[in-house]
Amino acid sequence: MHIPDGFLSPPVWGVFDAVAVPAVGLVARRAQLQMEDRKIPLLGVMGAFVFAAQMINFPVGPGTSGHLVGGALLTIALGPAAASIVMTAILAIQALVFQDGGILALGANIFNMAIAGVLAAYLPYRLWANLSRPFAIFAAGVLSVMTSACLALAELTISGVPMPRRVLWMSMGLFLISAVMEGAITLAAVRAIERLNPAWARSPKGAGSRVVAAMAMGAVVLAVVGILVASTNPDGIQQLAAAHAPAWMHAPLADYQVHGIESAWLRRAAAGVAGLALIYGVCIMTGKLIGKQRNA
Amino acid sequence: MHHVVVERWSRGSSPLHARDARAKAGALLAFLIAVSTTAPGAQAAFAAYAGLLAVAILAARLPLSALARRAALVLPFSATFALLTWWAGDPVRAIALAERSFLCGLAALLLIATTPANVLLHGLESLGVPRALILVIQFLYRYLFVISEQAQHMRLAASSRQGLNFRAAAGALSALFARSWERADGIYQAMLSRGFSGRFPMISAARFGAMDAAFLFVAIATSAGIRLAL
Repeated sequence: MHIPDGFLSPPVWGVFDAVAVPAVGLVARRAQLQMEDRKIPLLGVMGAFVFAAQMINFPVGPGTSGHLVGGALLTIALGPAAASIVMTAILAIQALVFQDGGILALGANIFNMAIAGVLAAYLPYRLWANLSRPFAIFAAGVLSVMTSACLALAELTISGVPMPRRVLWMSMGLFLISAVMEGAITLAAVRAIERLNPAWARSPKGAGSRVVAAMAMGAVVLAVVGILVASTNPDGIQQLAAAHAPAWMHAPLADYQVHGIESAWLRRAAAGVAGLALIYGVCIMTGKLIGKQRNA
Repeated sequence: MHHVVVERWSRGSSPLHARDARAKAGALLAFLIAVSTTAPGAQAAFAAYAGLLAVAILAARLPLSALARRAALVLPFSATFALLTWWAGDPVRAIALAERSFLCGLAALLLIATTPANVLLHGLESLGVPRALILVIQFLYRYLFVISEQAQHMRLAASSRQGLNFRAAAGALSALFARSWERADGIYQAMLSRGFSGRFPMISAARFGAMDAAFLFVAIATSAGIRLAL
């Protein structure tokens, strides 16, 4: 689901653009450092492959058909950093040339699909590949689509596009179906690709930091569920906080009463993402420092 | 596959085609920000934005109705959410969603219809977009049509047999994957033998002249003027 311009409210697209720009810069630099020049054409051509692969439809039920989305397949074939770059390139072409997705909304779309979507494919693949490789590949496909879709839905809801509960559940159901389909076609395609050349599907390297990976995946799942719950039911959470929170927690909220609950939520969301941006900044700075030390 | 019509439009010549890609990108950004912060129901402002775009399209000597039809591709998505909003009892906002998404889509289309993709990407690179990303986009755009055509041939071949079932689709995907991967290897060898040094050379260097600065200024002033006055 590519969000066009005009749907997200200015604070939402602003924040996501502010998050996506350093994230893409970081990933691009990382990819540039890690890979040889010969890989650059490969990334571009594999992006074109994902574009073209979306034309290959297969029947799912009576009258409906599905196609590959491709984020998980790219992650498995190229690794997470390269897959992020390729997905970003695809989204940029779709927004610029095909008017599929907005320009101001590009940051949000990149965050949903090229960052969170790729991470949500990479983490289960890395975490569970040793237990059961087919299951890990299937889970990568399911989670990447589900994560992107939930984030898009949450961003629209936070922006004030009304989402009645029934419609929300219906679209979640549809997303779940397409997520399972993505898992199945990713698994089938990866198996067929491995039969052609086993070297094409990478095995995740090293199980050294599985705890970190598990924590990161927990964070992704929590963040997605949290954003979704928060955006659909701000009143409920507000009431919960009012009923159970100690008195000092009410104080910071007191100032916001004038603007109503919605803007309080917006501010808190903005504060959260600003924190995230700060972490990115720190990461970039540390990366630079380490790079300097290595060069020295 | 026929070459995309946008590519043909972008090779035209007009005062708008002649402007520097960076000036046009800046103008687009100003326009988009103005449109997406305009309050729902400010119909005069939306009409003025549409008029501004129409003038720009005519100045670029491009077919107005063909561009509008292409930008209308965004409407099915917008209409779905507009209907939801309408049912939720907010028709003013529903109309604004459709208006905004259409105007923004048309404006983005105008940029790519007056700027060849490689020139635009070159401009974006000089504005600080990472080189690795720009190169990947360049290669993606160049081979998009080649590989899409291959996919269409496979689809045609499959439908002339018995159509694609799930297994056949997975097989077709893996074949397409293998061909793309091998093609990428060949591309790199061929480019090296032609002296590829890690960036695509431009025939003429981009220059941000006084006319470009004037264009950017007028675009920002008009967008901001409509946003604030109407």
